Amino acid sequence: MALSMRRTLVSLHRTCQSYKNVEVPLDLHHPVPFYLPVRTKKRYFIPPAVGLKGKKQWDPVAKARAAGIVIKQENMERPINIACTAGIFDPYIPPEGDARLSSLSKDGLKQRTEQLRQSASSQLAIRKIKEHDSTFTTKSFAEQAQEIFIEAHSALTDFNKEKLHSLVTERCYPEMTRGNRYKTIRWRFIESLEPPRVVHARCPDMVTKGNLYGQVTVRMHSKQTLAIYDRFGRLLLGSEEQPKDVLEYLVIERHLMNLYGRWRLHGKIVPSWAPAKDPIIKTVAIPGPEMEEPGQEFDPLNYEVPKPQAVQWYK
Amino acid sequence: MYSSLIHRYCCLGLKSLCVMLQSRLAAVSVTQHLHTSSSLLSKQWAKKNLQLFPPQQLHEPRRPAEVHHSRRQIKYSKDKMWYLAKMVRGMSIDQAVSQLEFNDKKGAKIMREVLLEAQEMAVKNHNVEFKSNLYVAESFSGKGKYLKRIRYHGKGMYGIMDKVYCHYFVKLVEGSPPEAERRTGYDQAQDYVEGLKARTVIHGL
Repeated sequence: MALSMRRTLVSLHRTCQSYKNVEVPLDLHHPVPFYLPVRTKKRYFIPPAVGLKGKKQWDPVAKARAAGIVIKQENMERPINIACTAGIFDPYIPPEGDARLSSLSKDGLKQRTEQLRQSASSQLAIRKIKEHDSTFTTKSFAEQAQEIFIEAHSALTDFNKEKLHSLVTERCYPEMTRGNRYKTIRWRFIESLEPPRVVHARCPDMVTKGNLYGQVTVRMHSKQTLAIYDRFGRLLLGSEEQPKDVLEYLVIERHLMNLYGRWRLHGKIVPSWAPAKDPIIKTVAIPGPEMEEPGQEFDPLNYEVPKPQAVQWYK
Repeated sequence: MYSSLIHRYCCLGLKSLCVMLQSRLAAVSVTQHLHTSSSLLSKQWAKKNLQLFPPQQLHEPRRPAEVHHSRRQIKYSKDKMWYLAKMVRGMSIDQAVSQLEFNDKKGAKIMREVLLEAQEMAVKNHNVEFKSNLYVAESFSGKGKYLKRIRYHGKGMYGIMDKVYCHYFVKLVEGSPPEAERRTGYDQAQDYVEGLKARTVIHGL
């Protein structure tokens, strides 16, 4: 304390030297020395983490509460627009002989046109759709559906996200694109073997009663080529030259209540009797069966790989 | 005389200019190799896993699958980790894992975990058919972010103690490990004799 007092006195003395009429306080008990060492610049380095041990972070919420300030809780609300349904309501179950009967043109076609007329709920649904969309007809819609399908898959090969979102619903988009980001897909639509047909229609409503969505199932038989290459450019599945005949049941959906709603691909129905797909060009290890006793040995020769059940599923 | 003096000065000037230009060029190339981003946050090694190759033609040889994996801020010295990384380089994955399992060093346990993680990633995400058909193509350690502490010495002296951390990077490639070229003494002798034979004799008879 004495040193600091002396320092201030010294600085005062120095400033007073320039002014002639200022009185300098002369202290006999604490004389000011003529020469005082000035503090040099700090040169040693202390790591910053040393001093921080035990120091708590300044908590503004606790301080405000202690001071008595009340802040209104702002709920972060964000409205979400649901533009598509979560699944396929009342799905169409394709009859077993559908793929085989198509070759017999007269009988097969007659059967199927009768089926469509018989299903009353489909007719009701088509009528409801026509109320909201005046230009809807089953014949024109089938062609439109095929065009949507072809455009959506070509957008998938180019991975054009904006175009794909406009052609495909939000439920279908992750199913189409999952795992495909680091793969190259080459797909080509060669020709349609049969004209596409509307086989099923439903008009479910979500959450509130009037919120109508229209789901129409279209059957199409066509020739396509598909080749998927992995990240390193090696063929994973299919081939580019060999075309395949594909029978598909597409579900196209539209939010009827929405003025700007568009018909978009919502999903595919894979019937239980569909033929097995080609295997991938890769060896995969299947997990073996669980042994009841610890010492039991696994006999690979007599073991039969369990086959999955033939169930209709939705892509 | 004056012209010769001027000529000499001009030459000197040109030489110094050249030297300056060379040093400037060197400075430019040096700045390109400076560490501009911190290694903790840089994901350059992991980004190599996101590289997409175009589909191969039929006449091209099959491209082997590659997996890049790393672990950051391992509490171990980078110099000590280097010994293990050097040991593992060029080994097949099974051999590497088994060697590290019976190594007494602290880094060996961590390195083994990293290699097993990378193997699993390769099979699950990168379309590698057989998990044993991998070998360690690249393996190295790097310096992590150190914590600094005071080490107290006598007489009020102190030192700054570094708490060392390191990163470990590994690249697994599909296929059998490449055979290391073995040069025998006979090969070396052959090369020497051929070198002697290939000499050109100038001003000889």
